[in-house]
Amino acid sequence: MSKIIVGRYIPGNSLVYKIDPRGKLLITILFIFVIFLANNPITYAIITVFCLAAVFATRLKVRVFWDGVKPLIGLIFFTSLLQLFFMTGGKTYWQWWIFTISSYGLVNAAYTFIRFTLIILISTVMTVTTMPLEIADAMEWLLKPLKIFKVPVDKIALVISIALRFVPTLFDETLKIMNAQRSRGADFNDGGLVKRAKAITPILVPLFIHSLETAIDLSTAMESRGYRGSSGRTKYRVLNWSKYDLISLFYFIALVLLLLIFRNH
Amino acid sequence: MSVKKILRTNLQQMIFLGIVVAMKIILGQFSIGPITVKVGLGFIGSVLLGYFFGPVWGTIGGGISDLVSSAIFGNQGGFFIGFTLTAMAGPLIYALFLYDKPVKIWRIIASTILVTLIVNIGMNTLWLHIMYNLDFKAALIQRLPKETIVPWIQMVVIYFVLQAVSRVKVKK
Repeated sequence: MSKIIVGRYIPGNSLVYKIDPRGKLLITILFIFVIFLANNPITYAIITVFCLAAVFATRLKVRVFWDGVKPLIGLIFFTSLLQLFFMTGGKTYWQWWIFTISSYGLVNAAYTFIRFTLIILISTVMTVTTMPLEIADAMEWLLKPLKIFKVPVDKIALVISIALRFVPTLFDETLKIMNAQRSRGADFNDGGLVKRAKAITPILVPLFIHSLETAIDLSTAMESRGYRGSSGRTKYRVLNWSKYDLISLFYFIALVLLLLIFRNH
Repeated sequence: MSVKKILRTNLQQMIFLGIVVAMKIILGQFSIGPITVKVGLGFIGSVLLGYFFGPVWGTIGGGISDLVSSAIFGNQGGFFIGFTLTAMAGPLIYALFLYDKPVKIWRIIASTILVTLIVNIGMNTLWLHIMYNLDFKAALIQRLPKETIVPWIQMVVIYFVLQAVSRVKVKK
């Protein structure tokens, strides 16, 4: 349970931890678009080096990153294999029914594998070195431009922080409800389709009622403390840019420039 | 709707939205069924969002659920805006069929099929195609077996859940 409260965050104090969460989030999001720029062996090598540099800069154990990749390793191999067998073009080495191994397929399978792994690694760097609360603040900051389109960003920020705050609480509550129902004979992992579908309601309904009550109580508490809508309020938790953010900025610009120079046009 | 009556102020609605989003995230961490066909429960959260908050706030709630769950648990397969759109599209479709409407079996069937076709098969495959440069057909083949079995299970679950949840409304 305590695992869920801190999420995947692992405390540390290497360089990556000092970078502003907004910068980290932006780079993580843009990384996926930047990886599109890679289209030949040199660019893939460059992006791999940059990604591994970020991984090593966290100074965390390799195991942490392996745990990030592990749940998806089957999927990664499977998709790479599909690329290998179904892509045609270039030299054909082997063919049987609808399966072909071609030079084009081989190269693409390798690229898919690298892409998959790098995207997972860089996302792991993000979530492991930043506290969930900081990530939420960064997301709120990123959503701000949507104000131009009259998107209620303040309300969304409120919903984000409430959701973030209640995930651990509701998780504990869910486990408690499940145990309470189990102690009276409920079985959540057995029986046919309909029986299992029915077994969800004894968890969901109490959880739902609890949520309704919490919403009412919390809103009363907030209103009695003077909450009158999200506008016209100050911020207590403020994010500050620092000199470390220049490093991440240079890291990113250098990566994009190198990719633009060395990719096939 | 009586939940709306219970939640009188706008602030209550927003907080309830936050908590239902949290509920969706937690349900997404659970799954039922044997290992061969694991069905994640996150779709229940999408249904609840659509059913209670309608197309606008249900859709926003879906987006927030993706953001918050990636903040807490990390996004398996990386941060990508496409999957946020996916998380928004599900509640939107459920809202169009279920919001402010009586629980009918055809509504559940139609909305689930649409979500499966548009969201799970269409959009998610497209994102994988874009993100990992997968061959679209190959990505589709990989997803099809699961997506032909899971919707039927989802329909049964949605039926019981909505039945139960609409009972909650009447009692309060």
